[in-house]
Formats: sequence, structure tokens, C-alpha cells
Amino acid sequence: MTAVAPLLRTRRLTKRYPEVTAVDGLDVEVPRGRVGLVGANGAGKTTLFRMMLGLSLPSEGELEVLGVDVGRDPLAVRSRVGFMPEHDCLPLDQTAADVVATFGELSGLPPRAARQRASDVLDLVGLDEARFRPVGGFSTGMRQRTKLAQALVADPELVLLDEPTAGLDPMGREEMLALVARLGTFGISVLLATHLLDDVQQVCDHVVMLDAGRLVVSGSTSGLLETTGTLVVDVGPERAALVAALAAKGLTAAEVNGLVEVQGADDAALDVVRDVVADLGLPLHRLTSGLTSLDEVFLSRAGRPAAPGGTS
Amino acid sequence: MTGAVYDRGYRPYEGDRGGRTAARAALWRASIRRALGLRRPWRQKVAPFVLLAIVTVPAVVNVGVKYLTRNTPASDIEFITYRDYVGVSNALLVFVALTAPDIICPDRRQRVLPLIFSRPLRGVDYVAAKVGAMAAILFAFSFLPQVVLFVGQMLVSPDGALTYLRDNAEVLWQVPAAVALLALFYAVIGVAIASLTTRRIIAGASIVGLFLVTSITSEVLVGPREHVESMSVVAPDEVEGDRGDGVIVISPDGTSQRTEGFVVRVDRSDPSAAPLLNVAGLPLVLRDLVFLGHVDPGHPMSGLAGGGAMAVGVYALWVVAGLAVLVHRYHEVER
Repeated sequence: MTAVAPLLRTRRLTKRYPEVTAVDGLDVEVPRGRVGLVGANGAGKTTLFRMMLGLSLPSEGELEVLGVDVGRDPLAVRSRVGFMPEHDCLPLDQTAADVVATFGELSGLPPRAARQRASDVLDLVGLDEARFRPVGGFSTGMRQRTKLAQALVADPELVLLDEPTAGLDPMGREEMLALVARLGTFGISVLLATHLLDDVQQVCDHVVMLDAGRLVVSGSTSGLLETTGTLVVDVGPERAALVAALAAKGLTAAEVNGLVEVQGADDAALDVVRDVVADLGLPLHRLTSGLTSLDEVFLSRAGRPAAPGGTS
Repeated sequence: MTGAVYDRGYRPYEGDRGGRTAARAALWRASIRRALGLRRPWRQKVAPFVLLAIVTVPAVVNVGVKYLTRNTPASDIEFITYRDYVGVSNALLVFVALTAPDIICPDRRQRVLPLIFSRPLRGVDYVAAKVGAMAAILFAFSFLPQVVLFVGQMLVSPDGALTYLRDNAEVLWQVPAAVALLALFYAVIGVAIASLTTRRIIAGASIVGLFLVTSITSEVLVGPREHVESMSVVAPDEVEGDRGDGVIVISPDGTSQRTEGFVVRVDRSDPSAAPLLNVAGLPLVLRDLVFLGHVDPGHPMSGLAGGGAMAVGVYALWVVAGLAVLVHRYHEVER
């Protein structure tokens, strides 16, 4: 029964602090899979995570994680969920293997199994050789990987990742996102909290956007993005020629920010653009569907309350 | 770290999973490992094993002396009794001040607590695991030397091991009971104080400070007093109060004789309740209650009406207060 329960279901979920309302009447149902939880700092992402783990009690409303009422049985949720906090949280004078194995045991694995799993997941996150070194000597990227490993060690059904790419260089970020993307193929659901819409766009198939504790929008990434129908073409400096040639073929095109954007483009238009570029002998650096970035979705919707239950 | 991520696949875990009990036990084991310096650099192993050596030496010396003097009149002399040996060393207090902060402060300082509490356990489980780990080590370190002492004395006893065992059977429950009371007390107080700060050095200094300040205060309040103002050997029928175990009379020619039926009468100044303030010394009063059934006649509290009950009450107060502080400090749900 729980196998089909949604990742997260809330009804009028609210968390008030004396100074601020961190989560404000949140009504959302999120399917399993890789889900992005997006919002600026202070949007309520971390508070939502803490409530999902039963570490913070809602002021009002209901909250179910993987079909379990968190208020009723927080320990059942915690034994099925892995958590990677945003902040530093690792014991620095222990080796990565010890840290991850200990957290495996804390999640209920027998000691021997915990050590085996620790070794496996450290391999998985790319720390196989470093695992017998103390965490205190690790770079930010290695610590992030260790944090991810401890979240995965007990084979959770869901991992909550709070800003996993924070502080990483571009390469580290790509690798972390690649890891997150792979979790889905292992049957582990992911709730990825980030303020970086790019991260979500890259790896998540569902997006929940929060702004000041309120739901902005919840829906599938592709559903939110396939709304503009523009095509972005990069042919270097010869943009004017391309715009003119496309106009001759009946397509509305314009130069935007050093690129050419083609409006109202469908599949047939893709072929036309390709042919025109080839005919003109231009270098085709890039040809992409000009999806609205999630930034645009966010900016266009933030400030407006979302329909109850999201728009998925 | 820029190493490539190799695809080694992912195997789901199909084995057994424990719940809250397993999590608590795991935290207990991890804390014990940490306190003993296991899986840590050798420097961390020094303190616990030096302590173990320090507290074991008296037992070894005592057994050695017993062996060497086994066929002489001096074999009756007790260098150290099982009672004295409970809480014999201030090294134990120093160990508490070193170790209690070490197993609890880094969790808060390095912000490991949110990770621990994202596991299936509650704040009280954390407290139970940490206090339990500290108490278990203190128990082991106080009990093992007693085992050495007992087994050693049993083996070198001129009357034979079984006779020794029969004659001293009561220490088989007295020692573990007294040691457990001592271990629990120091563990709760040490861990509770350490929970109030994230800095190990401050926590350690505070623990030592509490022990020192309260013991000095209590001594000042008790005042400059002779433990024994006068002492005389009297016949049993003259005695109203406590009877000693007997007297060893050593005559000028060096022969000694254990004289049953005589008691030592000790005249003291007025009893004082001030030792109740002495935190480090309090478990020793309870130890005496376990071994003797009353406060030690040489103790400043001896003769105080209800002194034993008061000591038990203050002991319980400290333990409850310490646990209350801990449960408050490690409430996993944010309020």
C-alpha cells in the first residue's frame, strides 16, 4: 500500500515562528521520483524538511511522507528516509568509512551490514580511495559526497537533499547532479531543495516552487517548461542573415542577446531552421528548444497564490 | 575531489533492520568506541588505558604483598579493602572530565545532532546512550580492578580459595552495587555539564571545577577537626555506639594479634551535614551505606541523624537534575 503512496502530501501545512511564518498553508501532493524543491533562501525548504523528519512540529495542518503521518509515527518516516543537511554536519576526526557505517547502524542496520553498505555507497559517490581518511581533511566536494553517502547508507526509499551543490566548483556540481540523477534509477526518490533552478531543471522530473513559505507552483518539469515554443539558435555573428532568411521561409525570428530566437516553432520549423543554416553556410553552434527557464516560471508565478493541490 | 564517479551499480539492502532499540544500542557502542579511543589516533587511547593502569595498580600491589606475606603475621594487614577500593582514585574524576565532554560536545559543535536525529531515535535515546556509555566505562574501569583484587586475593589466600570466597561472599554484591552507584553518578553529572557547552575544554574545566569547589567548600564548612579526638581500647560492654571489627594489637616484640571482642571508641566533634555538598565525595557515602549499612564512623557525617537517608536523597537529586538537563538539551523536536 505504501508503495504507491506519494512522496509527500500536505494539507494546510503551516509553521509559524515568533518572528516569521516559515511555511504558510501549504497544500501539495508530490509524486515519487526526483523532485526539486525550489525557492530563495528563507522560502521554507529547510523547515519543510525538518517537519518531514518530525524534527519540527507543524503549527497547523497535516503532513504525510511516503504515506506515513509524520505526527503519528516520525520514527517510521526516519527509518525510511535519508537526510543530507545543507550545513557541515560530519564528525571531523573520524574516517569517512566509520562515519557512514555508524550512521548506517543508527538507521538500524546490523554492524557488519552497515560497514559493508558504507563501503558500497562510498564507492558509489566516488570516495572509494579516500574512505579511510579522516573527514576533517576532506575538501568541500568530498564532504558533500560523504554527506550524501550517509544519507544513502541504509538504502532509504527517499532522500532529502538540502542544497547538495552548495559550495561546489562547476565540476563538482555536475558530478553531484549526475549522482542525484542516478538515484532515481536505483528506485530511490529524491527531494532536492535548492535555490538554483538550473540544478532542478537538470535532474528533476517534478518541481515544487516555494516563495515565502507559500506554494508557487507544483508540476512536472517538462509540463512547466514546454510553454513557450521558441527555438534558440546560435550561429555566431551572422545573425541578421539568418533572421532574414527565416523570415523568407515564413518564420518569425529575432535577434535576442546575441542569439536568434524563432517564435512559434514546431517540429517542422526545426527542419526549416536546420536547412536554412546549412544553405547559408553558417556554423551552427547551438539549436535548442527555447524552454522557459524555471526562473521565468518562478518569476511569472511568484507572488500569486497557486491553485490548491498544485497544477500537476 | 574531482575524481570520476565510477558506476559500480547499486545494491538495495534486503537484510534485517532494527528500530529504535538498535539505533540506541548503535549510538551507545559508537560512544564507547569514541571514549576508549578505538578507531581513533593513538593519542586518544592514552587517557583511558593510563587510567585503567592507575586504578589497577593498587590491586596488583595488594595481591603481591599478600602473596609475599602469606605465611607471616603481617598477612592479616589489609592495605586496601574492597570498600576503600571503590572510588579509590581521583584519576577517575579526571577521566570523567576528559571523556564526558569528548563523547558529547563535538556532536553539537560539529552539528552532527541533526544527522543523528534524522535516524529512528529520540532525544531520550540519545541521552540514554551517552550516559550509558560513560557509566559503562566507569563501571568497567572501577569493577575490573576489583575483580583483579578479589581473584588475586582468593588465589593467594592461605586458607584456600574456596574458604576465601565463602568468607568474602558479601563483597560479590556490595562491590558491583557500590561501583554502579558511583559510575551512574559521575556519568550523569559529567555528561550533563558537558551538554551545556560545545567546547570540550570548557566542559572539562567545569567538571573538574565542580568537583574541586564543592569538595573544598564542604571541607571548609566541616571545619578544622580532628577525625579522631581520642581513641581508646575498651571492653565491649562499655560500648554504646558503633563497634569496630576488632583490633590488631602489635606488641613491642613485633608479634601481632587480632583481638576480637574489643572495640575502638572514637570520640569526635559534632557531626556535620556539609559533606552532602561534596559532589565528588557523595557516591562514597553511598558506597559506605552499601558496605557497612551506615555512614563510615570516621566520616564527618557519622552520627548525623538521618545522614544516610539525606545522602541518598541528595544523590537522587543530582541524578534526576542531571538527567532533566540532558533531556532538555537533547529534545530532538524543535519547540
